[in-house]
Amino acid sequence: MAEVVLKDVVKTYGNIFAVNHVSLKVADGEFVALVGPSGCGKTTTLNLVAGLIPMSGGDVMIGDRVVTDLDPKDRDIAMVFQNYALYPNKSVYNNLAFPLQMRKLSKSEIDSKVQAAAKVLDITHLLQRKPRELSGGQQQRVALGRALVRDPKVFLMDEPLSNLDAKLRVQMRSEIKRFHQDLNATIIYVTHDQLEAVTMADKMAVMNGGFLQQYDTPANVFAHPVNMFVASFVGSPAMSLIPLTAATKGTDVVLTSAEGWELPLSPVNSQKALKAKSNKVVLGARHSTVRLHKSQVPGSVPGKVYTVEPTGDVTFAQVFVSSAILNISLAPSVVIRPDETVFIEFDQERMHLFDGETEMALAG
Amino acid sequence: MTTSTPQAASRQTTGAPAKASVWRSIWNHRTDYAYVLPALFAMLVVIGYPVYYTLDLSLFKTPASLQLKDKVFIGLENYSTILSSTSFWKVTLQTLIWTAFSTLIAFLLGLGAALALNREFIGRGILRGLLLVPWVVSAVAASYVWKWLYHSDFGVIGALAVQFGLSDKPINFIDNLQTGLPSLIVVNVWKEFSFAMIMLMAGLQTVPEQLLRAAQVDGASVWQRFWHVTFPHLKGVSMVTILLLTVQNFNSFIIPWIMTGGGPAGATDIWITQVYQLAFGRQRWGAAAAYSVILFVIMMSLGYFYVRSLTSGDRARAVE
Repeated sequence: MAEVVLKDVVKTYGNIFAVNHVSLKVADGEFVALVGPSGCGKTTTLNLVAGLIPMSGGDVMIGDRVVTDLDPKDRDIAMVFQNYALYPNKSVYNNLAFPLQMRKLSKSEIDSKVQAAAKVLDITHLLQRKPRELSGGQQQRVALGRALVRDPKVFLMDEPLSNLDAKLRVQMRSEIKRFHQDLNATIIYVTHDQLEAVTMADKMAVMNGGFLQQYDTPANVFAHPVNMFVASFVGSPAMSLIPLTAATKGTDVVLTSAEGWELPLSPVNSQKALKAKSNKVVLGARHSTVRLHKSQVPGSVPGKVYTVEPTGDVTFAQVFVSSAILNISLAPSVVIRPDETVFIEFDQERMHLFDGETEMALAG
Repeated sequence: MTTSTPQAASRQTTGAPAKASVWRSIWNHRTDYAYVLPALFAMLVVIGYPVYYTLDLSLFKTPASLQLKDKVFIGLENYSTILSSTSFWKVTLQTLIWTAFSTLIAFLLGLGAALALNREFIGRGILRGLLLVPWVVSAVAASYVWKWLYHSDFGVIGALAVQFGLSDKPINFIDNLQTGLPSLIVVNVWKEFSFAMIMLMAGLQTVPEQLLRAAQVDGASVWQRFWHVTFPHLKGVSMVTILLLTVQNFNSFIIPWIMTGGGPAGATDIWITQVYQLAFGRQRWGAAAAYSVILFVIMMSLGYFYVRSLTSGDRARAVE
């Protein structure tokens, strides 16, 4: 295994930056998820690391080697694809053996490696079958096996779970996590599903519009999103963002809505709000950090219930606050109805403030 | 996979009164049969009757005068005469050479062209259009043009060969026992490789990009990627292309007939030109009919085995 370093990596198509000066370092044995919406450049970044497409600028290092100008086969990487990309005319055995055959290993060496990989992934009984005779989960395991036999420096995975049904996806998620722990493998994992990234990765790199937005542990990305995009992308349901106007009242700051209500901020939050470029401040709150009251309490603001979604152990409610929709999680025992007026209390310690112009997080 | 359930269900319901259900099944599909009937009738008239007539005629000795009322029944004598003649086996060998080489070379050239045109480069569209020209040109026109290109006195090819010092006098391509057939094969390949190219270009569209990338990461070279990924994906379309080319080449007539008429000394005769000569050159209608029947049997049995091998893959898949 080895570390992977991306230095100022650029990929352009004409005038469009698919990957815009991305730098990040994946430590040896680390599981990093590249996550972002469709077209954010995450798969392009992975393909650049793999060497499947030429770079427009920057460097990629694997281990202590600069691999920028090397062919994929010389980079000592293995890749798992979204559609598994198994060779349909070859048996499972020959799919696993293929990368070793290409490296001209001896027959006995190939056999022992294939058998070992099959054992790790529990697919020994499938070795003589053709890919089309396997279920989606089995195919995915074979694809992992084909990556595994090579004993590569880095595993690159391109949305490997997105073709599986929801139940199998959860199961394979833990299998891949286990795979990472057992092998101490360096993995770069592309997904559009932030939940996969949060649950599996040591670190997540959130991308949007070709830019790397934030690169940190899932916990830190969740707790301290650097901007409004990351805040709204990570977490389910998404963080609610309410655009408001800041005004000073003595030493403290109050946020006012177009409807006329006021939300006084704590001294710490006031300090943050004062750093905004203008008086436009966006209040961010996660569903679990707000409390819902049926009647007004000090420091609460009014809202109107939009929908109520019971899920069993938690009920999610969407409430119109000012012009934005706020997600709230409630105990199932709380009974509210659509169009009911409710009062929302924010947790000053756990609320987020963003500059309404730059969309960046405001820090103390 | 999805079709297996209704099939299994219908098999269960049929069970005991099998005969009745056959009629019911036919009755249920009566409109389908009604739609097919006109075509079936037309085929009976334009194919069925000629086949019967040819079979009938092949058992007679016919007068050259075309007065078929004077024909004499001779049983299988026409067949034995043909099968025991040396010329039949010579023509058969020439037909096999003609078909095998034409098909194989046209297929390989078409494959090469399709692979080249599958990559993106400037002028690809124009090149693709140009390579289609031979297939679009009328075979009769092309044959005459090639005849002149090959001409022993005025031919461009011969003149170029002399100019470049490859030969001291113009080469006699088609009026030559050794080079006659190969020269015609060149023309035939030129005429039909575009067909293989189009078919294979369509086939190449179905090769998944991800598989090629996977193979690239697995360390396969360009050639290995072709052999392990692209070619298996082209298997189906290749089989169909080869089948169609083979049938077409067994039945070739225009190019050899116009360019050499089967000559010199029968060196470029193939089955169909031979039948044509027997019938319309020497007015031996009965013999020509017997010849046709022999070809029919050979072609049908070849076709049967070919189609069987072609569909065996599908059947294996259907069984799963």
